[in-house]
Amino acid sequence: MSAWFLAFATLLLLSLAGALWRIWRGPEPADRMMAAQLVGTGGVGVVLLLAAASDWQMLDVALVLALLAAFAAIAFVKAQSVDGSGDPEEDPVSPAAGTDPTTIQPGRAPDAR
Amino acid sequence: MIDGTASDIAATGFDLVLAAMILGAGLFAVTVRDLFGAVVFFIVYGVFVALAWLRLGALDVALTEAALGAGLTGVLLIGAVARLGRRTGTQGTDALSRRSAFSVRSVSQIATMLVSAAVSVALGWAFLSLSDSDGLRAGVAANLDASGVSNPVTAVLINFRGWDTLLESIVLLAALIGLWSLWRDDDWGRRPGLRQHARADGVLAMFGRLLPPFGLLFGVYMVWVGSSLPGGAFQGGTVLAAVWLLMMMAGLMPPPMVTSARIRAVLIAGPLVFLSVGIIGAFAGGFLGLPPAYAKPLILMIEAALTLSIAATLALLVLGPPGGPAMPSGPGDAP
Repeated sequence: MSAWFLAFATLLLLSLAGALWRIWRGPEPADRMMAAQLVGTGGVGVVLLLAAASDWQMLDVALVLALLAAFAAIAFVKAQSVDGSGDPEEDPVSPAAGTDPTTIQPGRAPDAR
Repeated sequence: MIDGTASDIAATGFDLVLAAMILGAGLFAVTVRDLFGAVVFFIVYGVFVALAWLRLGALDVALTEAALGAGLTGVLLIGAVARLGRRTGTQGTDALSRRSAFSVRSVSQIATMLVSAAVSVALGWAFLSLSDSDGLRAGVAANLDASGVSNPVTAVLINFRGWDTLLESIVLLAALIGLWSLWRDDDWGRRPGLRQHARADGVLAMFGRLLPPFGLLFGVYMVWVGSSLPGGAFQGGTVLAAVWLLMMMAGLMPPPMVTSARIRAVLIAGPLVFLSVGIIGAFAGGFLGLPPAYAKPLILMIEAALTLSIAATLALLVLGPPGGPAMPSGPGDAP
């Protein structure tokens, strides 16, 4: 049985070569990021198959990957926003107000000690 | 017998494909022209290397690699590329300095390649010339009962070679102090990192509210399970750091003031507890020696304190110095 699990893990791993090609080609940063997310998801699948083939304790690694693989995408989305720390879903802020965009921490004095 | 051979063949096939993917991701990461592409290849490389550690049976290392290589380092590097682009975009580039920088760059690239190749050859030679021994595995297994925990990796990290782990936790702290010392004087007293904000009812804020409970649970689980199974303070601390960063990136909480006494207490808690236990141990027998009768509660106490310190240190390292223009002196009087 474990041979089958390993064989399917190999197939899944081979499918991630497509993601590598997409990261190489791009052309947009978003294409590259989505390919990295694919590798994260595919990695979770490979870990699950490895766990079934050898040691169920490996599930913890799958959990870590599932939990943390999305963080790079969040950092990417934040970096794509106007001032690098916003959220593309926010209402567009006028360029003049670029230093004081709408924030959901109202009344927080940035320099308060 | 048949099944055994089949799974051997399947395992070899998997390992070959995995090795090719690791080499490919590494090679692409250094050859791709696009800086952001290199960062993405590095993240992907982390996932593949975590799989390789799994195949080698090093679950503790696989956990760390998955949390750091594929998780937190990606956040750090993507933020760095974004800041770099913003900075060069506003300052513009001088054609002359660029041309002179080019030759310097190609020389340094060749030098880096040669040094890397030399290190690789030396490592390969060292690996191939290793004698076929079990290392300290038998010694650790024989003394595992006295360590207070049943995970040999935790036994080595906190008990048998506690000295190394203590110094590592202090190195982490030193790295943060080094980062802080690079801040501009004007920035001291501002919150670290960029000023994060997000749409209050958007996807990002929702994600920032949804994920942290699971992350907190998993981080604590990771530390607790470390005494008997793969896991431990570093893995748990990394997960907690990521969760904290997520809440800050979603604009749900502001980054901590680096001048606050509370955050500094958390930062030094781990090394302090570790060192205190070690000094008390020095009176009872040997420095950093844990008496077998109390070893388990002591190890859990050290791990809990270390987890908090590691989480806070990693999060503050990723946040970096305050970004953007200097803030106005008071609230509400932005230009």
